[in-house]
Amino acid sequence: MVKKKSSKWIILVLIILAAFISIFPFLWMVSTSFMSEDVIFSLPIQLWPNKLFKAGMWENYKTVISKYSFGLYTWNSFLISFLAALGQIVVCPMASFAFAKMRFPGRRWIYALLLMTLMIPVQVIIIPEYYLMMKLGWINTFLPLIIPSFLSGALGTFMFISVFEAIPSAMFDAAVIDGASAYKILWRVYFPQATASVATLFIIGFMNNWNDLLRPLLYLNKAKLYTVTIGLTRFQTEYTSSWALLLTASVLSVLPLIIVYIFCQRYIIENQMSAGVKG
Amino acid sequence: MKKLLTIALVALIAVSAFAQGASEASKGQVTLEWWTWDATMADTNNAIIAAYEATHPNVKINNTIIPTDGGAYATQLAIMAQQKNLPDVFTISSGNLEDWAEIGYLRNLDELIAKDKTIFDQFYKGMFDAVKDVAKTDYYCAIPFAYVSCDLFYNKDMFDAAGIAYPNENWTWDDFVKAAKALTIDKNGDGEIDQWGYYGYGRYAEAQAWVIANNGTLINDKMRFEPDKNALEALHFFTDLVLKDKVAPMPKDMTAMKYNNIFPNGLCAMFVDGGWQVNDFRSKIGDKFRWGVTRIPNGPSAKETWTFGWPDSYVLSPTTAHPDEAWDFVKFAAGGGLSADQVMGGKLSAYKAIVESPEFIDMTQQPYGDMELFREHANDKFMTTYTKSWSEWTGYGAAENMGFAGAVDSILNGEDSFDGAMKKATDGINKILSRVYP
Amino acid sequence: MAEKQKFKWHSWATPYILIFPTLIGLFVFRLIPIVSSFVLSFSNWNLIKDPVFNGLENYKELFSDPDFWVILGNTLKITVGYVVGGMVFGLLLALLVNNKIRGMNFFRAAIYMPVITSSVAVGIVWLRILGPKYGILDYLLKMVGITAPYWLQDPKIALWTVTFVQVWKMSGYYMILFLAGLQSISTDVIEASVVDGASPRQRLFRVIIPMLSPTTFFVFTVAIMDAFKNFELIYAMTKGGPQNATNTLVYSVYVNAFSYFRVGYAETIAWVLMAVVGSLTLVNFYVKKYWAQPLE
Repeated sequence: MVKKKSSKWIILVLIILAAFISIFPFLWMVSTSFMSEDVIFSLPIQLWPNKLFKAGMWENYKTVISKYSFGLYTWNSFLISFLAALGQIVVCPMASFAFAKMRFPGRRWIYALLLMTLMIPVQVIIIPEYYLMMKLGWINTFLPLIIPSFLSGALGTFMFISVFEAIPSAMFDAAVIDGASAYKILWRVYFPQATASVATLFIIGFMNNWNDLLRPLLYLNKAKLYTVTIGLTRFQTEYTSSWALLLTASVLSVLPLIIVYIFCQRYIIENQMSAGVKG
Repeated sequence: MKKLLTIALVALIAVSAFAQGASEASKGQVTLEWWTWDATMADTNNAIIAAYEATHPNVKINNTIIPTDGGAYATQLAIMAQQKNLPDVFTISSGNLEDWAEIGYLRNLDELIAKDKTIFDQFYKGMFDAVKDVAKTDYYCAIPFAYVSCDLFYNKDMFDAAGIAYPNENWTWDDFVKAAKALTIDKNGDGEIDQWGYYGYGRYAEAQAWVIANNGTLINDKMRFEPDKNALEALHFFTDLVLKDKVAPMPKDMTAMKYNNIFPNGLCAMFVDGGWQVNDFRSKIGDKFRWGVTRIPNGPSAKETWTFGWPDSYVLSPTTAHPDEAWDFVKFAAGGGLSADQVMGGKLSAYKAIVESPEFIDMTQQPYGDMELFREHANDKFMTTYTKSWSEWTGYGAAENMGFAGAVDSILNGEDSFDGAMKKATDGINKILSRVYP
Repeated sequence: MAEKQKFKWHSWATPYILIFPTLIGLFVFRLIPIVSSFVLSFSNWNLIKDPVFNGLENYKELFSDPDFWVILGNTLKITVGYVVGGMVFGLLLALLVNNKIRGMNFFRAAIYMPVITSSVAVGIVWLRILGPKYGILDYLLKMVGITAPYWLQDPKIALWTVTFVQVWKMSGYYMILFLAGLQSISTDVIEASVVDGASPRQRLFRVIIPMLSPTTFFVFTVAIMDAFKNFELIYAMTKGGPQNATNTLVYSVYVNAFSYFRVGYAETIAWVLMAVVGSLTLVNFYVKKYWAQPLE
């Protein structure tokens, strides 16, 4: 028992250490967001923000939100990321179910092609893709950012295949014997088993679209369509650089992701607990 | 495979047919598309448009600002050019002028200028001519709205503390080194320098500025990289500031901050970079210390004063349906419709009335009267290093650790010898140049 | 698996209906650009003119460029370092946070923070931490009398520093993936092993890790894919320098396409990258056959 207790302490210390190393740069970002421009690089290094709890401590935030319309950018980013991630959690399980449980002509080919696209960095295809979007008349709309990820998520498909494959075949057999349709088996039997993965995929899909820079830069040229990542580029141009505002905006850009993460984490945890109850 | 591709193409065509949204402006109304890249100018641009539309009710201006990040601006402009669908009026980097002129994407303005009797009373003709030099055209192909120069910034408080006279245009490079030595100080006596006389690295606006100040050329008449005697002298001088005179830090020691934070943080007494830093330094330095700006001293082999500088200009689309309206508007945007405070601090407007107005020298902010320098630049002999594929051989933007800049840095950081780095740079750069100038 | 088909529990059209959106997305938005980029890799194209096809010129130029081999080497080194680092740390963190401790949700969120923070911001922050003389780490190390090396400026170290930051940024991601896998392992199995008297170590290596193998395979594939997505970090921290020490294929594609406007040549590099990625994937699937067959 004693041994077990001490190992628990070691685990706790390790977790705190890992959490600190992970969060330290973010803390520095937050701290910087309450600094004035001239203090950030002053020497000796100041880690404690000079404006905190003083008059004008929210100045950077006010500037970022009012002068740089970060509220609008946040809404645009949210809309894009939410719709793209939503598409992912609907479309990917469908495709995965077909790949994992059905045998049909073309299956191997399509699967291989899909996996190949999983590997391609955006820089490789972006210029032909731009031409495609231009021909579609989609420049200066959110469509190029939503539709492709809405329709096909190689990562999500791939992820659900391994999840579905791991679901015990006894459940599948029982459902088939009951005469359930394929769609019913997918949505009533398999999908509920994978809530943790759905939540995980939603976070990943949301996050990837939220942090995408190159595509929004190319596809959105109207200030009212700008996303948060485009907004961030406005603090570092050829002619000016404002670190205080950039890091303030970075903090703001992370907040919605934290909220989404916390929201999804609940599902991951709930899933774990319900599994525990069943066990 | 073929079948699948056909299906995909059919689907693509079907989708695009739906997606085509047709919207044509009503008759009589002229809409001009105006593309720029500097988001900091968004408010100014809106003010320009509002003022212009108020006096020209039949013209509507659409300003699109695309950031240069990720090459977004240049990429989209290039694609628009290839699609023969350029905006009516757009900003273009000086580094692209030659390439674009060669293909004929820059409208020949000679006719419009000939019709416009007063144009050179309003704008500096020298700047229009300078654009021709950069673009290597025999016609006017762009309307400069500002001239950007590289200058010497200095910390007046540090000079005063060391009891040295401020730098001026009569300085020699020996004067510069002497002052820099006196300004390189270990303030707390821990054996490490905490105030440097100078800071600089391979960036185009720094290393190349010294080459020009010595009347040096990097690219020979046959469009090959071959620094002449003067250029080599300047580069030796520049690298010796770090390696021999030890009045400047190795660039790699300073990478915890961006290059343009070092002077504002009081880590160096002198700094050379683009004049637009005036604008940035005003906000970064505030009242922390007093600073000034002057010319880079002429090198020992300089026969005359050359200023390293280039035009920021607007171009008219060769295919615009409204050349007269575009011309009228571009004159307004480039100067006629601007007030002195709408020109970025440290850039020389191309519009005479602005430069000559008393407000051009903003006496309410640093560097106060030193801003006279930019007025003087109006009559300078400007030199550039622009060629085709300039950003590739120079090492610019995402490639700033490569090309010429990367080679200079490898000398400054003690990773390579001067001759070794120059040989490597010569081979690499000439490979690039021989591709674009066969 | 095969005998299940005899049940005819779905019509022939069902799988196609299920994969229909994916198919559209795949063909229109992925394969068309991919095939175009392949065709373009045989051309000389600066965007403003029409592309001019030049056969194998680009490939010849690429393979005869000594820098290319340096860049390829860097890419492989980063990939190995990143995949190993990311998976090891991801699994360790997942095992750590899979314990029932008060406040665990907070710790999980904290460890996930770097994943959701934009790469550019992460790059800037690490630049400030790792920078010599005026960096935070150097400052702290100096207090205890250690002189730090040039993390990002020494050509011998820079590549590994970049790899480290990338691993640091992404470990939380693999943690979440492993965690989902860990939690899908039925508690019965683990409890059974406890009853059988297995030591914690035996439990880890004999029960948990083997049962995780589908997840591990998934994470492995994803990590390989992510290993190439380091453009923003490199852009923010080193810009491929010093002297190409941190230049990778992806960075090179970017620079050639968007700084030099050598789109054809950039696509050539891109296709070399594709070949690397493709062969890694093939190896991966070959391995899967013997390693990660789902447990039936």
